[in-house]
Amino acid sequence: MDSPPSTTPGASTWETVKEAFPFGLAPFLILCLTIVSGLYLLAATVWGPSRAGGDLSMWTFARQHYVAYEKARPAFEKAHGVKLDLQNVHGDAVTRRLRAAYWAGLDLPDAVEVEISPAGSFFRGPVNDILFADLSGLLTRPDPTDPQRRPLIDRIVKTRLSPYTHRGRIYGLPHDVHPVMLAYRADLFEKLGIDPNELRTWDDFVRVGRRITIPEKRYLLNLDKSGSSCAEILLFQRTEPDSPAGYFDADGELILDNEQAVDLLTWYVPLLVGPKRIAASPGMFGQTFVKATQDGYTLCSFCPDWKTWGFQHDMPQMSGKMKLMPLPAVRPGGRRTSTWGGTMLGITRNSPDKEIAWKLARHMYMDPNDLGNRFRELNILPPFKDAWSHPAFHERRPYWSNQQLGTEYIRLAEQVPAQFGSPFLELAKSKLGAVLASCLADYDPSRPERLEPMVRRRLAQAAADIRKQMRRNPF
Amino acid sequence: MNRPAGSLFAAQHRLAPYLFVTPFVVLFCTFGLYPLIKSVVLSFYITSGPRSQVFVWFDNFRFLLGDPDFHKAVWNTFVFAVFSVFLQLPLSLGLALLLNRKNLRGRNVFRLCFFSPRLVGMVFVGVLFSVIFAAPYGLLNVGLHGLFGASLERAWLQDPHLVMPALVLTALWMYVGFNMIYFLAALQNVDRTLYEAATVDGANAWQQFWHVTLPGIKPVAVFVVVLSTIGSFQLFELPYLMLGNNAGPDDAGLTVVMYLYQNGFVTGDLGYASTIGWTLAAMVLVLALAQMYLSGTWKKEP
Repeated sequence: MDSPPSTTPGASTWETVKEAFPFGLAPFLILCLTIVSGLYLLAATVWGPSRAGGDLSMWTFARQHYVAYEKARPAFEKAHGVKLDLQNVHGDAVTRRLRAAYWAGLDLPDAVEVEISPAGSFFRGPVNDILFADLSGLLTRPDPTDPQRRPLIDRIVKTRLSPYTHRGRIYGLPHDVHPVMLAYRADLFEKLGIDPNELRTWDDFVRVGRRITIPEKRYLLNLDKSGSSCAEILLFQRTEPDSPAGYFDADGELILDNEQAVDLLTWYVPLLVGPKRIAASPGMFGQTFVKATQDGYTLCSFCPDWKTWGFQHDMPQMSGKMKLMPLPAVRPGGRRTSTWGGTMLGITRNSPDKEIAWKLARHMYMDPNDLGNRFRELNILPPFKDAWSHPAFHERRPYWSNQQLGTEYIRLAEQVPAQFGSPFLELAKSKLGAVLASCLADYDPSRPERLEPMVRRRLAQAAADIRKQMRRNPF
Repeated sequence: MNRPAGSLFAAQHRLAPYLFVTPFVVLFCTFGLYPLIKSVVLSFYITSGPRSQVFVWFDNFRFLLGDPDFHKAVWNTFVFAVFSVFLQLPLSLGLALLLNRKNLRGRNVFRLCFFSPRLVGMVFVGVLFSVIFAAPYGLLNVGLHGLFGASLERAWLQDPHLVMPALVLTALWMYVGFNMIYFLAALQNVDRTLYEAATVDGANAWQQFWHVTLPGIKPVAVFVVVLSTIGSFQLFELPYLMLGNNAGPDDAGLTVVMYLYQNGFVTGDLGYASTIGWTLAAMVLVLALAQMYLSGTWKKEP
């Protein structure tokens, strides 16, 4: 057996350690680092502060929102004597992080903004297990800050609550209204002799489109070929009081395969394929979209309020050449708008102080001055109607050929159709996009009579698949 | 200073190896083994949130068998894997053979050029090719229009029939050079004297390739085939980046891992996602074993 190593009298500490630890200095240091960092992490987890940077935390997923809330933060902190930790989390990451943190029992933000499409996925499961607190009581009680004590629910565009309402409970405060208009090249319209005031219905629009379309060079409309964005805008527009259109009805029943959807796709497909086409698909965002607009390849695009900022930001050189008009109606006298996108602010169930989180929500979403100033920067129309009298909403915008941007959208806000949230909303969107893409790929313009049965069959199949998933839901 | 006690030294000597492997074992058990076991358990549940789990026995697996979206994902993944193996690898081998020639001038530059796509990130490649495939201004359409007068409006990423070719082309650009490096290394290890003997015996170039080169690089070739197949079945980033979360028109770019992701992290059903994960693992295992069997990996040398 080896004898233990000897230590020379008067040797340095390192030498002593080296001799006492036979594997060398480097492994010894690695071991020390592992032990120290492990102990630190353990101590930080057990005794460390449960919140990173404040008494209250809020996540948003949009850079522009974050910048706006940063500006509003000092006033809130001063008024309520709390420190707010505001974080900008990427849109895709916010839902994943929320879900993972909730499931793992980790710290959650007190308030969080979630985009409209994934919002519904949080409403799955037993009511007591839903991540967000029910805001119904807070919204329906008389508001002590209002001279007439009107409940908040009466001062918000009602249809904007529907995406965040599930099983009779309201889980999110809407951030926006997002009415949709058509952004068009005013200079080219004038050159081509198109009067936007005469485009009252989609029939009028298509007629003009056929007149001015030059294949591969110029189209009247930018329409999505693969996703569901444009199709859902046009589908929501078809909503009637007695005939809902969209993905789900108010009771959460799937309506994707109803007559409204069949009619829409049967009308939509020939706009993009065949001799009667009037639309092209250079995309709804990014460089190709910008170039297509600048080149006059597509003259009109769907433009909710939030997208006007994108136009201004991405193509400043188009200032004074762009204008907005209401959507043509499906039938004379019909709805002249629809909706695209949205965001809710939810208060998480585990928030230790929901009252202060609610005050934060009100501060960020219902301060008329803040909302007015925010509209000047972001062009997003808030659903809180009290704010609409702020002068910022009625200013003329040189970019939009001196139109009153806010006034134009406010005029349409009350017409915005309801869309209803569901845990299966993203699946339904994906299926609508899939049906559209497959019909576009298989449509034979020389046999137009085959389109309607094909659309009907494929929508029915898509709906059957979704219902099969819905039936599996045991909660 | 006194010597350390003999018993302390002995104990240290005995325990030190365990101490050193402990961090790995702890980390592996926490982040590797536990999730694996947990995912097996989860595959028997329908889940929603931390407390909402319903035990469904094999219902998830039964549903999976009749799930048209899963079938589509498997088909898409299979098509991609077939192209990876039968298009990408022969091209990689061809390039390796070409660049293995000693008389080729500037071959190191060519090697770097062919390998360099692998050096850039997947995100970069996804974004780059999204722009290349875009209609009507993308480089590909403009090039084809200039060369053959093809339509500028060919929507590569918006037409269900063109999505898979677009994905295969992108993967080809990215991985051909990478796999070429494996083949190149294998080619350089083939015994040169075998070629000399074959030449003396009068074997032509094809015969040398078939009877000397291929057997010589067989272990590496099997490795690359298995690795490519597994990689293809794990395809996620490329379609996700190029087509978005909804997997392109008519789910033409939906792969098994994308479907797993959609169920686990979009719908929030970790149970069904685990079922998909384990089914995928079984599929990959069967395929890898089949490939190894067919390539004679386990055959004993006579």
